[in-house]
Amino acid sequence: MTWFKLTGLWLLRQREIGLAIFIVAITAVVGSIDRGFLTAGNWNDILVRSAPTAIVACGVMLVILTGEIDISVGSLMAMLAAILGVMISEHHRNVGVAIGVSVTLLIGLLMGAFTGLLVTVGRVPSIIVTLGLLTALRGFTILMMGGTNIDGLPIGLTSLAKQGILGLPLGVWTAAMVIIATAVLITWTPLGRRLYALGSSRHSARLTGLSERKLKLFAFTYTGFLTALATVVDVPRLPKIESGIGSDFELLVVTCVVVGGVSIAGGRGRLVGVILAVVLMTMIRPVLTFLDIGEAGEKWTKAIQGMFIMLAIIGDNLIARRAKRGFRA
Amino acid sequence: MKPWQAFSRFRWWHEAAIAVMLAGLLVVAGWLMPTFLKLESQLLLSRQLWELAIVTLGMTLIVITGGIDLSVGSTMGLCAVVFGICFSATGSVALACTASLIAGVACGALNGVLISKFQLHPLIITLATFAAFRGIAEGISQGAAYSKFGAAFGQVARGSFGGIPYAGFLFAGLAVAIGVFLARTAHGRFIYAMGHNETAARFAGVAVDRYKFWLYTLSGFLAGLSTIIYVSRFDTARADAGKGLELDAITAVVVGGTSIFGGRGNIIGSVLGLLLIHETRLFVSRYWQIDELRSIVIGILLIVSVLLYRGLERKNRD
Repeated sequence: MTWFKLTGLWLLRQREIGLAIFIVAITAVVGSIDRGFLTAGNWNDILVRSAPTAIVACGVMLVILTGEIDISVGSLMAMLAAILGVMISEHHRNVGVAIGVSVTLLIGLLMGAFTGLLVTVGRVPSIIVTLGLLTALRGFTILMMGGTNIDGLPIGLTSLAKQGILGLPLGVWTAAMVIIATAVLITWTPLGRRLYALGSSRHSARLTGLSERKLKLFAFTYTGFLTALATVVDVPRLPKIESGIGSDFELLVVTCVVVGGVSIAGGRGRLVGVILAVVLMTMIRPVLTFLDIGEAGEKWTKAIQGMFIMLAIIGDNLIARRAKRGFRA
Repeated sequence: MKPWQAFSRFRWWHEAAIAVMLAGLLVVAGWLMPTFLKLESQLLLSRQLWELAIVTLGMTLIVITGGIDLSVGSTMGLCAVVFGICFSATGSVALACTASLIAGVACGALNGVLISKFQLHPLIITLATFAAFRGIAEGISQGAAYSKFGAAFGQVARGSFGGIPYAGFLFAGLAVAIGVFLARTAHGRFIYAMGHNETAARFAGVAVDRYKFWLYTLSGFLAGLSTIIYVSRFDTARADAGKGLELDAITAVVVGGTSIFGGRGNIIGSVLGLLLIHETRLFVSRYWQIDELRSIVIGILLIVSVLLYRGLERKNRD
């Protein structure tokens, strides 16, 4: 009884191990039902689909570590995709891939900085700012695209995004680099450690002389830049650019960060957990397909997502309570 | 008493400011589009408002406690699907309405239990249920749309008495009841106390958890109620009912002067905020004939109003 409880709590606390066991178990079960799930092609597909989520999750994780939240990334991605499409499509401006990509990255960076400034200097709660941007940017995208889709992206970019380098698409390479860079940033640099410090206690961070504004501004700007990066490497993979790109993406990203063990109150969580959660969340759809539930199953994806967030936060909460009781005893 | 003291003691500055903005908007709109101010067309177009208005009342109370309910739109989606399924199973509109209300209460109660029992932040709990409720609605309905509820049921949203839609009377009744509850009863004052300082309220003996549970349940109930009006208006029940409604409701509350950190605000402000965003949307979409402008305007209005409010606050403190 007690050991059972203790093991459960330990697994909840070691979120990475729990998630890894879960992923392996699901793979084993689904793989034994349908061998097709174990093929390289399927896993390649899962990796490609998880790449943009992983890239943006690295940014949103930093935002949540500082105790804020960003739910505007999906709409931002749609806007950036439209801008990118208009600039590089041969049916539109056709200004060249290099210019188009750099301008998109710059706009993403600036939008992130803008969000950060509203939160830090404007002192508007991040949930309000990003909720407002969520609708405003989506509306702006629909307005800009005027009900049409954009196609005719340069072959060079689309083939890089689809076939890629050494058999792996551009998105997977980029995701790997972003993950390594973010891991180095939050583990070994003073900036990264300060983000943790700020999240675990704003008061102590201020007494230590850390600038809350600069740190939060950095987290939001980084997220904006990564959203642009994810757009650039993932969107050319799609047959055409629609205004509906990235809807519910923000929810998926926040789910991954929270399920990955990052405390929503800030200051606690590791990148490995977040990346495993991204893989787990991306697996939901292929699992439903391979279990042959078909169309009916796909409609449940969102419900399963919501359930995962709820389990994660309730689990976190139980641990926190247990820890508190432990201190008192 | 010196004159500037009377000035600073006047407690309705925010409401007065919104009323002036509303009047200004109406004057400009009436000048650009003479048909805009016609009473009949305004009453006719007010049909688009009532679902949002009813949900906003519950949202006001929750924001005053320092919480937030992001799940109201999704709750409406789930209620609409429950309504449709119940109607196609039994053929009775009354039963379907009851089922919709029960579903709303259940959704709200789930939020309430999770928030009060587990001491979790409402933001993240309702973000989870925001996904979960919509997901369940999509899952059980499988994208199906239910319709043909009969002409009599259509009158719930379309019918009117003396030119004013029935839903308008319902909203007025609810607004007065909740306004009096908030301003004139001890329970209402406790809600403000919770928003000001939850720990202090707890030490003062306020049953904070119980209030939270009931407020989120009320919010769910109101979502169920407005689903009935929504379904009646479109004569269709689908999983996408009320999509994005949470944003409009939060915007109305915040524009109406309720502090997003809790402890300040009232129903009159929310009603004025509601009218302001309703008229803004009507004007924008009728004058420029572009529907997407509505969401852009609402998003910007939300951010700018909080920004201004925070700016004023800082000036007062200095």
